[in-house]
Amino acid sequence: MKNLLKYTYLLDTKNIKKNIENLWDRYQKIIDSKKSSWEDLNEARAILYFIGYLYPEKIALDSLEKRIEYIRPKIGLDEFLSAIDRKNIRILKKYRKNKRFNQLRDFYLIVKDIKNRTKNGTYLDEGRFNKIHNKLKPKNYF
Amino acid sequence: MKNIVSGKVTIIRSEKDYYKIRKETILIAENTHPDIVIAIKKIKAIVTEIDNKLCHAAIIAREFDIPLLMGVENATKDFKTGDKVIVNLDNKAIHKIK
Repeated sequence: MKNLLKYTYLLDTKNIKKNIENLWDRYQKIIDSKKSSWEDLNEARAILYFIGYLYPEKIALDSLEKRIEYIRPKIGLDEFLSAIDRKNIRILKKYRKNKRFNQLRDFYLIVKDIKNRTKNGTYLDEGRFNKIHNKLKPKNYF
Repeated sequence: MKNIVSGKVTIIRSEKDYYKIRKETILIAENTHPDIVIAIKKIKAIVTEIDNKLCHAAIIAREFDIPLLMGVENATKDFKTGDKVIVNLDNKAIHKIK
């Protein structure tokens, strides 16, 4: 998570993607294993919270809000996000060769990929996670 | 995209609720889930309690060009499935219609 934050500061999209996938793989490994302990499951819970909420909705959004200010010609964040999600040809054409725009677009698409990810029929495989969580939850849970 | 939309409400409390949508509706949820795509063609507008440009509802509304009103506190409590409402994006408001 520390590395993901570091590469987000650097806007190194290749390593951002790599670190997100590493976290996802670790999360999957924990919920796949029948040997996973309550402590392991809480590591999975931390990853789930981080990649499902904290990273996209707080850290990545904050990064996008700050970096969009550096793009010239100026573009607002709402316009930027809409242009990408709605595939607005006019705007995408305007910024086609804009290095900063394209870098920020790649970053957003990586974030969106994890934010929209489903597995085994539920968001971020939450169904399976919740099932194991309830099974391993100690009776004296506090 | 329309800035004023009216219709009947469907309250979403779990992913299963998306599968019950049969008619066009205004969807109200704390936030949305990826299962929303099952009913996407029947959704006239989305109203959420959460307010975040990268939340799932915001992404899906942009992708499918669906009117979205975010940050409506207690929306899932103040409205119920079947209520007739009008959503005004210009005023960022939702009201019941009698």
